[in-house]
Amino acid sequence: MKIGQTSQGRIALDTSAVLARWLLGAVFIYMGLSKALHPVDFLKLLRQYDLTQSSLLLNSMAAALPWFEVFCGMLLLAGIAVRGTALALIAMIVPFTLLVFHRALLLQSVLAIPFCAVKFDCGCGGGADFICRKVLENFLLILLSTWLLAGNGRQLSLRFNLLKSSS
Amino acid sequence: MKDNSSQPRVPGRWFAAGTIFGEAVLVAALGAAFAFAANQISPRGLALTRDYFPSGTTHSVRPVASDGLPSAAGTNSEALSPADFLAARMKEKGLQLLDDRQAARLFHEPRFPQGAIVFIDARDEEHYQQGHIPGAYEFDPYHPEKYFDVVLPLCQKAEQVVVYCNGGDCDDSESAAILLRDVGISNQKIFVYGGGITEWTTNNLPVETGARNSGNVRTNDK
Repeated sequence: MKIGQTSQGRIALDTSAVLARWLLGAVFIYMGLSKALHPVDFLKLLRQYDLTQSSLLLNSMAAALPWFEVFCGMLLLAGIAVRGTALALIAMIVPFTLLVFHRALLLQSVLAIPFCAVKFDCGCGGGADFICRKVLENFLLILLSTWLLAGNGRQLSLRFNLLKSSS
Repeated sequence: MKDNSSQPRVPGRWFAAGTIFGEAVLVAALGAAFAFAANQISPRGLALTRDYFPSGTTHSVRPVASDGLPSAAGTNSEALSPADFLAARMKEKGLQLLDDRQAARLFHEPRFPQGAIVFIDARDEEHYQQGHIPGAYEFDPYHPEKYFDVVLPLCQKAEQVVVYCNGGDCDDSESAAILLRDVGISNQKIFVYGGGITEWTTNNLPVETGARNSGNVRTNDK
């Protein structure tokens, strides 16, 4: 009985992990495409962070980031290099979330309103939104990516480990 | 599909961190190659070497407060009102600012239909089609090559060129004005209508939908 329960729990966990992988993949494809189809709008939004004085660098970021998200989303959906993709996504989301957070703090001080009342289009792909919701969304994305990074979501994957020696 | 669930999980879960890192680097490299190739192929792709913001890449867009109204100041202009902010920005860029009365006066002048005054709409095609100042020419500063052939000769002949976009936080009119200046249109005759189409419609001035001179002119009068 106990073994059966453990097995059922395992199946439920594995199923959840696969669903999480698909969800994450779909979210990144959607967010990436919504920006890739309107690159100039994304360029304008990226500009608000004052990241660089170089137009070449700014253009490169605006041109590449959306399609990179689409690429990672496709890898997750197919189940290819899942852990590496999850790590790459975390490496992308964390600094971007910090930038968004910093921008929101700046706006809060200028507007003199509660932090969660700050609303702006962060360039994340979903249009203007309240900062607390956006930070929570990004936190969930990071959480799901970390779960996949830990080795979950192997079922129905084409090639979970692209490099052979990663277990 | 291949199921790798039979592989050992717990002992090696975090063990092969180096390999996972290598995989991430590989994903990043392949992803970057894919991204730049996709941007190159996409008809909407960005031209990497083009300066889309001739007035500077780090000019902050003023924020929007939670009530949806433009904020009183931007991140780099805390002490300025929106009007002062705009005036300071124009001065910094060496551009001349036009207010709503001046823009309306130029619109109603007989010189406008004669081509001595030219209105330039610096928004994208979709917004232009939704409504522009009647007789204004479309000139999206992010795709200037599409419009230079039509707009440049008109601006060269004109005595005054009025450039506008949405108003408020929008600075596309400034980018368009600088583009025109950079290709040889005299700065003396270029004016930026800061209030833009938002102020224009708020003032119940006529707006034309569809193509230029489509005849579909309306006002906000109820």
